[in-house]
Amino acid sequence: MVWPMTAVIQIEGLRKTFRTLRGGARVALNGFDMTVEAGQIHGFLGPNGSGKTTTLRTLLGLVRADDGRMSILGRTAPEALPEVAPQVGAIVESPQFFGNFSGRRTLRLLARAGGVPAERVEAVLTQVGLRDRGDERVKGYSLGMKQRLAVASALLKQPELLILDEPANGLDPAGIREMRDLMRQLSSAGITVLVSSHILAEIQLICDHVTIVSRGQRVATGPVAAVLSGFDKGEYRVRVGDLDRAADVLGTAGLPVTKNEDHLVVADVGDPAWITEQLGRRGMWVSELTPLTPDLESVFLQLTATTPDPGAPKQVDEAIQPGTIDLGVQS
Amino acid sequence: MNLALAELSRLVARRFVLLMTVLLVAAFGVTVATTVASSHRPTAAEVAEAEREVLFAQARIEQIREDCERQRVSPEFCEVYTEREPRIEDYLYGVFVFSQEITDLVYFMIAFLALFAFLVAASFVGAELTSGGMTNLLLWRPQRVTVLGTKLATVLAAVVALSAVASVLYIGAFYAIAEVGGVPGVLDGEFWRDLVLTVGRDLGMVAFAAAIGFGAATLGRHTAAALGLVATYAIVWEIGARIVFEVIEAATPDRYMLSSYIGAWMAGEVSFWDQYGDRQYELTWMHAAAVFAVALAAIVGGAFATFRHRDLA
Repeated sequence: MVWPMTAVIQIEGLRKTFRTLRGGARVALNGFDMTVEAGQIHGFLGPNGSGKTTTLRTLLGLVRADDGRMSILGRTAPEALPEVAPQVGAIVESPQFFGNFSGRRTLRLLARAGGVPAERVEAVLTQVGLRDRGDERVKGYSLGMKQRLAVASALLKQPELLILDEPANGLDPAGIREMRDLMRQLSSAGITVLVSSHILAEIQLICDHVTIVSRGQRVATGPVAAVLSGFDKGEYRVRVGDLDRAADVLGTAGLPVTKNEDHLVVADVGDPAWITEQLGRRGMWVSELTPLTPDLESVFLQLTATTPDPGAPKQVDEAIQPGTIDLGVQS
Repeated sequence: MNLALAELSRLVARRFVLLMTVLLVAAFGVTVATTVASSHRPTAAEVAEAEREVLFAQARIEQIREDCERQRVSPEFCEVYTEREPRIEDYLYGVFVFSQEITDLVYFMIAFLALFAFLVAASFVGAELTSGGMTNLLLWRPQRVTVLGTKLATVLAAVVALSAVASVLYIGAFYAIAEVGGVPGVLDGEFWRDLVLTVGRDLGMVAFAAAIGFGAATLGRHTAAALGLVATYAIVWEIGARIVFEVIEAATPDRYMLSSYIGAWMAGEVSFWDQYGDRQYELTWMHAAAVFAVALAAIVGGAFATFRHRDLA
């Protein structure tokens, strides 16, 4: 079946419950939806056990869905996976390679199994920085080098769609930056990238769109900027000499003010110049006026209700299960 | 074809396969060395003594047959004594006689090769399922039956090819020992036909062992599952059930044991007496083939059926 849409990945109402022989059941996906359009670098976020990897595994035919519809590159998944597989590069969690093979041999075997020209092996080894270490056995690789090899295997096919589950896992800071640059290069070459990660700052730097999942349901989706702006309360940090007087002045003007040890946090600020004007008129000179823009981490923690409480560790299934906040995704 | 070649590369590069191959060569080497050490080329005196013993044995057998017929016992009973003429090699002591000993040596070789095939095939798929290698492969070729089928076909072809080569080298080595340090014995057309059929059936045994190991490891998602299946079967059925059959005085317990059919397959035919010792029955290689087919359908068929729908970690 060909779906009449431009989405590279389309998931609707995906459900999956894992059952045990003893009659136990765990709902991994509970009507999950996601759309990834062509050319996006799409971040896929969620707390541990929220269903990210199950979604990717289901999409790639490794796990059977109980219900729902999926398509990749306009073709129904998993039925049409054999036809679209040559255009899809994927790594799921930390892929295991045969330890006694060298990285180069591992890629050559994959290339042979997938009918990819052998010349691609050298190209991808260079691309991920393993060209000079390609003849070493994989079991001697560090976690980061294995991760690079995994990415190389995903790139081998010159895919139209790249699905990366925790690609920065185990990478050193330089490796993380290289991975970031690599994804940007791939995106600028027209490749759609779906990347799941726990490193939210990285996602914010790399991705243009994001989907957040919690307890098997989508809780937010859309352009990163739109998701963040949805949580922008117009807050500013204000430092002045007399915090009490300043708080009175701004509070009297109707702005919500929170007093901290050495600064104020003022919300609902339309024009920050108004604050300097009001305080300056009363002889209080502002030493700092900083907009408090929400970052992806704080938004993520709010959306999934996983903000840690000191002394009361959050349990894995304590994430929130709210309705979807859709922030402009096209469907 | 590309997938099969890739699988073959993975198979031959496995350290476990290399280790098993070394053990195989070592076991064969020990067998050959022991045979060389315990055999010698018969001297003229030993041959002359053997010829005398043959003449004596022929006279003794003839006497017994005549006595037998005089007592008018059934002709079949008397025929036992004349079924096979005594030969010189029967009376050459400490001499390796190829025609007499090669069949048992081939059984030993095949037992080792079957064990080798079982373990290699089980670990080939078990290790991939445990490590996530299978998942990796399915991301490249999302066709489960094709991937698993190619893996099975590759390991079957590899172990059967290795066993065929090993059989030729093994039999050739013992033939050379017989020519140089023993005696070949009577190597007529019937001997070679029987030997070829035995080796052919035994290669089938190797393939059966490999397929069962592969199927059990796939069903249990682990190499250890195949070993567990064999251990459980041996203890619960071959030992436990046999005791129960004896207690309840079942007439033909051997008929229900896989080991009986393995014996029938390897030898071509085996005979068993019932519990009361008054009725003999035969199991042939055709009975064994039927039992093997059922076992393969259950274990290998079950492995493919479950693998098609299973969630993979």
